[in-house]
Amino acid sequence: MELWHELMEFYIREAWLLDERRFREWLDLFTEDVFYFMPRRLNVHRHETDRELTPVGDLAIFEDDKTYLTMRVERLETGMAWGEDPPSRTRHIVGNLVVDPQPDGEVQAKTAFLLYRSHHETEENLFSGYREDLLRPVDGSWQIARRTIVLDSNVILAKNLSVFF
Amino acid sequence: MVAVDRKHQIIDLETGQLDRRIFVDPDIYAEEQEKVFGRAWLMIGHESLVPNTNDFFHTYMGEEPVILCRDGRGNLRAYLNMCRHRGNRIVRTDVGNSRNFACAYHGWTFSNEGALEYVPGDEEAYYGALDRDCLGLVEARVDTYAGIVFATWDHGAPSLDDYLGDARWLLDVSFNRLDNGTEAIGPIKWIEPLNWKTAVDNCSDNYHVPTTHLSTIIVQGRHRGIPRLTHEQQFQSENKHLFVNGHSLTMRFLERADQVRQTHGVTPENLAAFEEYYRATLPEAERRLGSLRTRLNLGNHSLFPNGVLGLRLAHPRGPLETEFWHFVVLEKDMPDELKTALRRGSANYNGVNGIFEQDDMDNWRGVTESGLTRMGRKYTQDLSMGVGHDRRHPDYPGVVAGRYTSESNQRLFYRRWEQFMNADNWEDIPLEPKAMDYEGTATLRG
Repeated sequence: MELWHELMEFYIREAWLLDERRFREWLDLFTEDVFYFMPRRLNVHRHETDRELTPVGDLAIFEDDKTYLTMRVERLETGMAWGEDPPSRTRHIVGNLVVDPQPDGEVQAKTAFLLYRSHHETEENLFSGYREDLLRPVDGSWQIARRTIVLDSNVILAKNLSVFF
Repeated sequence: MVAVDRKHQIIDLETGQLDRRIFVDPDIYAEEQEKVFGRAWLMIGHESLVPNTNDFFHTYMGEEPVILCRDGRGNLRAYLNMCRHRGNRIVRTDVGNSRNFACAYHGWTFSNEGALEYVPGDEEAYYGALDRDCLGLVEARVDTYAGIVFATWDHGAPSLDDYLGDARWLLDVSFNRLDNGTEAIGPIKWIEPLNWKTAVDNCSDNYHVPTTHLSTIIVQGRHRGIPRLTHEQQFQSENKHLFVNGHSLTMRFLERADQVRQTHGVTPENLAAFEEYYRATLPEAERRLGSLRTRLNLGNHSLFPNGVLGLRLAHPRGPLETEFWHFVVLEKDMPDELKTALRRGSANYNGVNGIFEQDDMDNWRGVTESGLTRMGRKYTQDLSMGVGHDRRHPDYPGVVAGRYTSESNQRLFYRRWEQFMNADNWEDIPLEPKAMDYEGTATLRG
């Protein structure tokens, strides 16, 4: 339970960093060798649900390393990343945490999320999904070494995914 | 041939003025579905998406849901995804493998060769009176170019070869370079709040890049070692902006024939491996494409009507909405390490989250929506850049703009749209005959 509380606080803090647009601090939550991954989610029959999520090696929606993530954040800082300038108004609601400590001290952690985004005057998106993280203990804190984000969508009902998950 | 009444006059080629109503008018949109998407050869997928017999891939021709499949004999087929009984969709998944398609409503079952094979109660409920032979799946004409699958509903349409015309002369340098051809992965699918034509006409818009994409150009220079692109470079560039038989192309000269073709996904760390790949494949490419074409690179481009940079599709979903499909096409022979770099680069730069493409959406939306208001419609859109400087060029196909940065292709794209919209049938739609020298062994089929 102690680990669960500790990680729940970690995820709540992360959500506030994103919603308060403190993206540099958010970036520091990831290890240098992070793999930030969002597969595509296919519409398939029940007996073929092993094909539902595209594996690494197929075309993914996100397949970022630390450099790509850094480029995304630095782009926003130029003041000319027009897809996010003016910026989106977001609210990350994270919960349903399940923790699975590994023998090597790392932790698998799964969370569900709702991400609300409002942009410009009247535009709205609601993204629902879950994240599976591999958390690594670093200097008395946690860092995300791998994040898999699965949206509960087939065709994404948004003009872009210029916000972070 | 019947003289065509030019009902749609939306672009003035002398002044570059464009009528904004074409982005928002529901009647024009409905007519486009018939006269553009009902007639043109449309990209619908890639052979590699259905590699085995009985594989199917669900796709679209404009708004029409379409089953692309490889039948039991290995032939590519494309069917309207509609049960001939009540009209329900007989395929409800993105992909699968099946010899037949059974409707989930009443059980009518069609073979993947299109025949209505089974009807529950054929004898009893229908008294044997149902003419099953006339109730097969509605089938489109299918053909392929270098593995990319095209289809058209119009049986009066010219061949795909003639439809592409001399655009293929240049497309080959990207899609038809090697004997083993290409494979496609994807697509990423999302909904853009804009008219499909705004995404298409942007394909030749070199002008916007240093402004729209400046933030990414800056960080790309910082982290990927790619020199900063400026307006000045583009204005002075010797690269070409050309319009061939309805298709909008931009063409770049390679400084060296083994130069790396891509920018998205190339890093200082993998640059040498890419160069080695292009060096190693050069003799094969020269044998297939000849020496002149081996020194050309395909830049941004669009195949008429709704291609957006290669096999990426802008499917219309109403005047103000577009379903965008992002595939990545890779040369099969490319080492896995480089395929991975291009796959990641392509999605990260141009996918739904792409750090280039995410900045395009609001611009295209703004262009689309400018036609919604009374005052906006009063003022034409200005596409006058480079008017009067187009010409024919002895070495290159089509209409070649005076400069690499021009709105010539955009003007001609809307003229092509007019030609489709104003035609009674394909007889009224002009086609430029092929005139280029296709040096090398590459053919339409690969």
